[in-house]
Amino acid sequence: MTTMLQPQIILLKEGTDTSQGKAQLVSNINACTVVADAVRTTLGPRGMDKLIHDDKGNTTISNDGATIMKLLDIVHPASKVLVDIAKSQDSEVGDGTTTVVLLAGEFLKEAKPFIEDGVHPQNLIRSYRTASYLAINRIKELAVSIEGKSLEEKKGLLAKCAATTLSSKLIGGEKEFFASMVVDAVIAIGNDDRLNLIGIKKVPGGNMRDSFLVNGVAFKKTFSYAGFEQQPKKFLSPKILLLNIELELKSEKENAEIRLSDPLQYQSIVDAEWNIIYDKLDKCVQSGAKIVLSRLAIGDLATQYFADRDIFCAGRVTEEDLQRVAAATGGTVQTTVNNIVDEVLGSCEVFEEKQVGNERFNIFSGCPSALTATIVLRGGADQFIEEAERSLHDAIMIVRRALKNSTVVAGGGAIDMEISRYLRQHARTIAGKSQLFINSYAKALEVIPRQLSDNAGFDATDVLNKLRQKHALPSGEGALYGVDINTGGILDSFANFVWEPSVVKINAINAATEAACLILSVDETVKNPKSESAQGEAAASAMGRGRGGAAFRGRGRGMRRR
Amino acid sequence: MVFQMQPYGIQSMLKEGHRHLSGLDEAVLKNIDACKQLSVITRTSLGPNGMNKMVINHLDKLFITNDAATIVNELEVQHPAAKILVLAGKAQQEEIGDGANLTISFAGELLENAEELIRMGLHPSEIISGYTKGIDKTVEILNELVESGSENMDVRNKDEVILRMRAAVASKQFGLEDILCPLIAEACIQVCPKNPANFNVDNVRVAKLLGGGLHNCSVLRGLVLKSDVVGSIKQIEKAKIAVFAGGVDTSATETKGTVLIQSAEQLENYAKTEEAKVEELIKAVADSGAKVIVSGAAVGEMALHFCERYKIMVLKISSKFELRRFCRTTGAVALLKLSQPNPDELGYAYSISVEEIGGVRVTIVKNEEGGNTVATVVLRGSTDSILDDLERAVDDGVNTYKAMCRDSRIVPGAAATEIELARKLKEFSFKETGLDQYAIAKFAESFEMVPKTLAENAGLNAMEIISSLYAEHAAGNTKVGIDLQEGVCKDVSTTNVWDLYVTKFFALKYAADAACTVLRVDQIIMAKQAGGPKRDPAAGMDED
Repeated sequence: MTTMLQPQIILLKEGTDTSQGKAQLVSNINACTVVADAVRTTLGPRGMDKLIHDDKGNTTISNDGATIMKLLDIVHPASKVLVDIAKSQDSEVGDGTTTVVLLAGEFLKEAKPFIEDGVHPQNLIRSYRTASYLAINRIKELAVSIEGKSLEEKKGLLAKCAATTLSSKLIGGEKEFFASMVVDAVIAIGNDDRLNLIGIKKVPGGNMRDSFLVNGVAFKKTFSYAGFEQQPKKFLSPKILLLNIELELKSEKENAEIRLSDPLQYQSIVDAEWNIIYDKLDKCVQSGAKIVLSRLAIGDLATQYFADRDIFCAGRVTEEDLQRVAAATGGTVQTTVNNIVDEVLGSCEVFEEKQVGNERFNIFSGCPSALTATIVLRGGADQFIEEAERSLHDAIMIVRRALKNSTVVAGGGAIDMEISRYLRQHARTIAGKSQLFINSYAKALEVIPRQLSDNAGFDATDVLNKLRQKHALPSGEGALYGVDINTGGILDSFANFVWEPSVVKINAINAATEAACLILSVDETVKNPKSESAQGEAAASAMGRGRGGAAFRGRGRGMRRR
Repeated sequence: MVFQMQPYGIQSMLKEGHRHLSGLDEAVLKNIDACKQLSVITRTSLGPNGMNKMVINHLDKLFITNDAATIVNELEVQHPAAKILVLAGKAQQEEIGDGANLTISFAGELLENAEELIRMGLHPSEIISGYTKGIDKTVEILNELVESGSENMDVRNKDEVILRMRAAVASKQFGLEDILCPLIAEACIQVCPKNPANFNVDNVRVAKLLGGGLHNCSVLRGLVLKSDVVGSIKQIEKAKIAVFAGGVDTSATETKGTVLIQSAEQLENYAKTEEAKVEELIKAVADSGAKVIVSGAAVGEMALHFCERYKIMVLKISSKFELRRFCRTTGAVALLKLSQPNPDELGYAYSISVEEIGGVRVTIVKNEEGGNTVATVVLRGSTDSILDDLERAVDDGVNTYKAMCRDSRIVPGAAATEIELARKLKEFSFKETGLDQYAIAKFAESFEMVPKTLAENAGLNAMEIISSLYAEHAAGNTKVGIDLQEGVCKDVSTTNVWDLYVTKFFALKYAADAACTVLRVDQIIMAKQAGGPKRDPAAGMDED
């Protein structure tokens, strides 16, 4: 019957959803603003946390922008870009994830009135790019280098950076305590900074202050067999053997089969199996190692055998921990017990098994290559420790970056105000539309101090005015002034040690601008229908409805058939 | 079903369920309409100031791009006539790798103008003959417009390469071309073989790493593998490399077998002999001088153990293509079985190291000294979509390089060529006597689409720009185009916007061919789709 009707022009597949033009752009901007609003209140030391309850029933309490964005499960295509930049900030710098989302949201918000007034997005994009270029250069100019200081001095400086990050987190109350811990950990792993060499172990119970740093490796006691209790639990400078084999009575190979013609031989085969395991154990003992760790199981036979010879053993150590022990003690993981030479054995100053909370921990400390560190976190609730772990991760990343790039800027919104002022000043020298756009970019940057004071319950307008006045002083002495989160006034952030690595700000401004430009540059959205597999479910539910309708004399169904 | 009546004419010949459209109104104009719609979508993406499209494909993957080839590819165009345009775009993408948007938009414009002619009363065949004459003449004029002295170029001269590449890259990533072009050019020149015509696009790789910004992008001589090394040796210099495609492990039989053990000694020695065998193999590799083993499949724990013992770095590359490229970079021959390699089967790398970039650990294989055949452009950006789009820009740049290796002639860009073509073609049309004069004139007019779109996309007044362009060209300044940054007309030799002659040539040719093909159609017969009508459970229930 369709042949009878005037055929419609179907350019795209049925079910394709397209939208274009100004309305589409504005709706994209709105979607992004909504997302930015969701994380807005988490910014800064007085930021609030979010409780996210996901579909699996897990509860997460966090104020880490990246974590929240990940868990929000955003489907809107434009807002997904914001999730991406939060992730990118997380992987590149580790902190400032809220900042980046907030900035991008604010850039777009400032752009919206211009779009509505009919400005071509490309003009905006060009100005924004120029502005970000100028801003980044300005940050580089303002950054203070911490290069060339002594280790002690450097440690102090790094601790300040870590403290700034931590102050905005759940564990902000103990920021000095954790900051020095983080700095020690990062310095411990040295130049070969691989993040997985810093282990964070969580033990519920106790309080935050009970957390401690192990200059080496610590892991929870593994599952043990009978005989374990008889093993000594403390060694001074022991040799450590790391294995990747099973020390248990078991068949050698899955595809091996034994056929015997003579029943008398049976006993010899059984003996042979025992011989094999004894042989292995013997070799372990002969190597001179006092501690035997294996990634795979160490059975009760082996446990008792080792106990008799005053050797400590632990089986089923996780891959990660074993690698860390290897890195710390200078040993290598062995896949066979044959010809173990001395150089593959690791060593450390002290090994002991300690009670932490209601868990027992194996702790290796005073390691020779000392390329690892482990932080044992204590705290009340599970969610609390989880969040503390995320916060420490951020702080660790920040310290690593600060160590690598070694320039810092004043935090507390000071740098943002300064760039804002600088851009406004620059904008006045431009003739043309660009002046307006760069001005609005500068205005958007003020969102950081504004939000900081908003979240702390201060009068943001009041604080901002004070800040603007300070930054506008011709002498330039006010350039380091930021929000004072304690009194609600303003203070010299730099002198009060509210510091951030400059790379955080550079990356944040860069990513936020890129994201904003990307969203502004979209003038059409086309959503294709999902392919068969994904559509199966949707069709099934539609079918169900169709059938329901059909029960009422089957109306409307004929139209669907060709 | 109420409408159903006795089939007649062509209807009676064909199976029920087919669709049949014919005649000017039903077929030709409808086709033109569909093509127009398609070109409207791509048109706003034309040029440096073109806007992006957000396309979500059927797998829910998000594309944000202004690359026409990608857009039409992901759009899943259904209309048969519009598909012809898509195919023309694809042909252009495959032939040159750039200019797909010009093809589609220009074809759309040609068809739009054809519609006017049809409404005027011209027969499609007259339009076709006019358009054919038009494109023939265009090619002639285009030849005259080639910048003299450009046919000879040194493909290893970075400045000359950048000059020709700029416009192509700028049209994808405006404002970033000054950063991207030198990178692309450097990478291309590095891998350019002795005979530039043999340039292989695949030899310039792109590694996308999330985080950082565009200013962190760089070019590496060699490969970037997005994985860590397997063992604990993370850095090695001036190393010989043995490549094993089949994996590094104890050899296992393909056939299912069982090892028969008959005595206790055999059982005890079983594991030992296996160990000894692996050690022997690894030792043989180590003896050959290799410091690095690259495996195409799994690396056995036992083998890894001995590699560590002999201080050999172990890399795992599971992609066959990646492995082949790795062999090309290092000059190694991939061996199937783990055995002692001959000296000439070993590859060489200046350095292999694991570095952390943006939270991802990557292995960088460098080959600083000569004979290097693969270069990698490391792209950094804050979102996946940006990275994907940058990659497309790099691809276009590399393809342009390939095209210029074959034919290095250039024509003025920034719509200067189009205006000149329009002007000359119009003059030519007046000399024609037949009805196709109208068609040629329209063909000439279609060229105005390019400056018009460029200006519109940049937020400028299109009519004003076009008229001033015409004025300049009439005054003899044939190289005047639009300067989008300032919104005025300028001589392109001052702004350095040049397009490759071949790109333009093929884009116009494909567009004209596609337009003529669409115009030639006067009937559409669509067979019923195979597989019968969609399952409709309510069908039986209606019989009441």
